[in-house]
Amino acid sequence: MADRLKGRNAVVTGAGSGIGKAVSLSLAKEGANIVACDLGGGTDGKGASTSLADATVDECKKLGVQAIPQYGSVADFKAAEAMIKACVETFGRIDILVNVAGIDRAKMLWNLSEEDWDVVIAVHLKGTFNTIRHAAPFMREQKYGRIVNTISEAWVGTVGHCNYGAAKGGIASLTYAAAWELGKYGVTCNAICPRAATRMTMGPEVLAGYKKRVESGLWTKERYDEVTHVATADYLAAIPTYLASEAAGKINGCIFGSAGAFFSYWAPAKESAIYNRDWDNYGPWTVDEVEKCMPNLLKGYINPAPPEEKK
Amino acid sequence: MGDRLKGRNAVVTGAGRGIGKAVAVALAEEGANVVVCDLGVAVDGSGTDQSPADQTAAECRKFGGKAIAQFGNVSSFSDAEAAIKSCVDTFGRIDILCNIAGIDKPKMIWNMTEQEWDQVVGVHLKGTFNFIRHAAPLMREQKYGRIINCTSEAWLGGVTHLNYGAAKGGITTLTWGAAQELGPSGITVNAICPRAKTRMTDDPKVREMVVKRVEKGLMDASVLKRMDREMVDPSAFAKVVAFLASDDAALINGQVFLTTALTVARYSKPEAVAQVENPAEGPWTLEAIKAGFSADKLLKGYVNPAPPKPEEKK
Repeated sequence: MADRLKGRNAVVTGAGSGIGKAVSLSLAKEGANIVACDLGGGTDGKGASTSLADATVDECKKLGVQAIPQYGSVADFKAAEAMIKACVETFGRIDILVNVAGIDRAKMLWNLSEEDWDVVIAVHLKGTFNTIRHAAPFMREQKYGRIVNTISEAWVGTVGHCNYGAAKGGIASLTYAAAWELGKYGVTCNAICPRAATRMTMGPEVLAGYKKRVESGLWTKERYDEVTHVATADYLAAIPTYLASEAAGKINGCIFGSAGAFFSYWAPAKESAIYNRDWDNYGPWTVDEVEKCMPNLLKGYINPAPPEEKK
Repeated sequence: MGDRLKGRNAVVTGAGRGIGKAVAVALAEEGANVVVCDLGVAVDGSGTDQSPADQTAAECRKFGGKAIAQFGNVSSFSDAEAAIKSCVDTFGRIDILCNIAGIDKPKMIWNMTEQEWDQVVGVHLKGTFNFIRHAAPLMREQKYGRIINCTSEAWLGGVTHLNYGAAKGGITTLTWGAAQELGPSGITVNAICPRAKTRMTDDPKVREMVVKRVEKGLMDASVLKRMDREMVDPSAFAKVVAFLASDDAALINGQVFLTTALTVARYSKPEAVAQVENPAEGPWTLEAIKAGFSADKLLKGYVNPAPPKPEEKK
């Protein structure tokens, strides 16, 4: 029990289970009042239930803070507004916003339905926009705020759920942009890239999928072990909690790998190889010229998925 | 004029104007047949006009290949399907897909409407998905394909269009993911990050601002020099896309290239560059995290993009 967030009020999405729940409890342990938002659906976004959010609220209250549930969908602009408003109206203001809500619909690109794409983008990417959009005016006005988003290592490319990866890539960029726009008002916006055992990462169907990847040679046994030997979400919950504290005021626009055993700083992509033409060469590029500069630009490059040998 | 794309068939979105048009013409110049997709909207996505797509198609035909116009909306799943189908139905197959279509609705986050978010993400991100989704099965079947997406430096941060930046970040990751999924089938997926003078970027106020900063000594003169060199018609670098669309670029996959009249650069992926170990067996504690941050090496090289403004004393 501690008091680093005493008197602070937080909205946490996806707070009913997994990482969102662990973060809610971790914030509450430090004294923050919590709005625990969860639609109570499955990992595929189907179904709804009030019991998940309610259970988190009960556990937060046991830690001596105030807590209320919200049952709306983060993908709904108005429901997100209601979550932020509930925090302001019940607790007086909003200091902390942690966006964790997410779903997964894993398919190869050529099998993804339009709906599989739309709902995954809506919950992750639009959901993160929705809550930030409604929290930003309050935080800007009070010149204080801590926003922590959740992305994933799928951000740098993933096989089997391009919808999920694209949503996470969008959230990473949104995190950078929100940090640029809100930083000068005393609001920070960072993101975590978590590794934790949750129903999304370690459910029975997911484990079966991992095994298939090893069997098909897509993954090595080492990769499988690395992915499956992970701690529960409570191990890493202190990392977003730290980012939500006053002490982290100078950390803005950063992405942190977050696991039980380590945390890491993810540097953004950068121009790693550059070819400049002559300043005075004003003609359009020719294909030959492009071809000539490629070997230098591609130094150190490894094709992530070379064509399969023809049989 | 060349023949690196002779006999290849391409779909180019946003091909009515700007970068899309320059790309469509560059592909045609190298011998490709082109499906020119453009709804003919304004920069903010409003209105429709068939003439930009028709004009680009006419320009493409001047190089001796075939070209047809498509007027659908890229953010519509079924319009995207129709555009891909028209390529296959008219030319026999689809070899090349260039996703360039985009709009911009700049606002600060606290002023952005739901519609401004939805439309921008819909056109850029879903539009790119829609076309890849419909092209991918055909390209897998024939074990050949070249996909080039259009992202932006806004992917790495910036102000006044978080919607646009988020969409471009999504496209970048989609490029990396699609490259991994489709690469084994002989398909490459890459992206460009262009700088050029287009309807979307041609703002004399930006240059004026840079000129003022250079005069005041706040900015190096080379910034202005580079800007003037790069803010030119996108035809200056369109052949970079033509190269990525060619057989000769078969081994280039999952890469993002900055493309300007002056420069081509390859982007690295984001990566974990520094790590702190949990000193304890149990869950992280705030004390251990604080110590990790103050160890200094974790955030080496990091610069706060927007530090808090010092409180004004009244």
